[in-house]
Amino acid sequence: MSGLQAPPRNRMVIAVLSLMGLFVALYLLADSVGLIGSLVCGIGECDTVQSSKWARMGPVPVSAVGVVGYLALLGASLAGLQPAGRSSRAVGAALLALGAIALAYSAWLAYLEAFVIRAWCQWCVVSAVLVTCIFLAALPELKRLRERSDT
Amino acid sequence: MAKFYWVLGGIAVIGLGALGYQVGSQSLGKAATEPIEVAGLDDMETLVAKAQGVSKGDPDAPITIAEFADYQCPSCGAFGLSVKPQIERLYVETGKARFVYYDFPLPSLHPHAFLASRAGRCANDQGRFWEFQNVIFRNQSTWASRSNVEDDFVDYAVQAGADEDTFEKCLKSDMHADVVSANMRLGYELGIDGTPTVLVSMGRGMARRLMSFDFESIQEVVEDLLAESATPPGN
Repeated sequence: MSGLQAPPRNRMVIAVLSLMGLFVALYLLADSVGLIGSLVCGIGECDTVQSSKWARMGPVPVSAVGVVGYLALLGASLAGLQPAGRSSRAVGAALLALGAIALAYSAWLAYLEAFVIRAWCQWCVVSAVLVTCIFLAALPELKRLRERSDT
Repeated sequence: MAKFYWVLGGIAVIGLGALGYQVGSQSLGKAATEPIEVAGLDDMETLVAKAQGVSKGDPDAPITIAEFADYQCPSCGAFGLSVKPQIERLYVETGKARFVYYDFPLPSLHPHAFLASRAGRCANDQGRFWEFQNVIFRNQSTWASRSNVEDDFVDYAVQAGADEDTFEKCLKSDMHADVVSANMRLGYELGIDGTPTVLVSMGRGMARRLMSFDFESIQEVVEDLLAESATPPGN
């Protein structure tokens, strides 16, 4: 037997959370481009947030950035689960970097909701929670990267 | 690993299903909530043709009482619920006057006013304009503070006797945004800067703009005009 590594569980978790986040971001994007009448928003003021100037980066809806980010995380985590990618330093580094960038971006958006727009969108909060969990799930990559650099 | 892919597949199916359902059930489009550019309104004839009030009473009545109002303005609510019924009883139902409502939403002050005006027009498509107006004014304090009012307006339309699906399709579109925008422009051209504004005119004569909108002020002007029309020429 060649010592084939077991698929890292944290990458499975990242893949699952990224897929969930992808659908949240797609839902917000569908609202931004007018595919749906209005968001289901039991808690908070989604329309206030979505119609604010902060919901776009120039012509690009922030939700589109979310879609791209979640797709990248999903892709990286799935690649890291394949036999060839399980020991890849690049995949580990990518997951850590993407997780950190997503967390920082999400924190910035949460700050805007709390102190600038002064309204919360429940879907943005769900996305922020998912991103935080993704970042936490990506932390074991740091340990793996260190171990590999020691050997 | 197989179990993991099953979980991932399950999430994908649920996510796609929920997203597809949302898009499918609400693919009615985004409701127009702000005035739009309407071509040709710089020309007075085009403006008058495009601006359309909703009229109640005998079209041949000697007096026309026109109101420019905003559904989210509290004074318009008070006027609609307490003054208008008196006008109707005394003048509209007796054939002495017809009452015409023009939309004059003030979006900078009232974020839902334009949508409310469009909602009124959607109700009008089903012959439920005045019923809807009563319901929306009665509930003004409820919906005015909400961030999303589309569902409230659909409920009010149903209470007013409108068909829910037809109304919702109209509301969640840009239907009547042109008429409401033209009405706003007409109001600006007439120098209207607040709501409600009431104009009273006799036949094709010059309209008198009332400085206050209590029933007594309107009654005074209407009675004056009726007395003038009853006076034989030369006296």
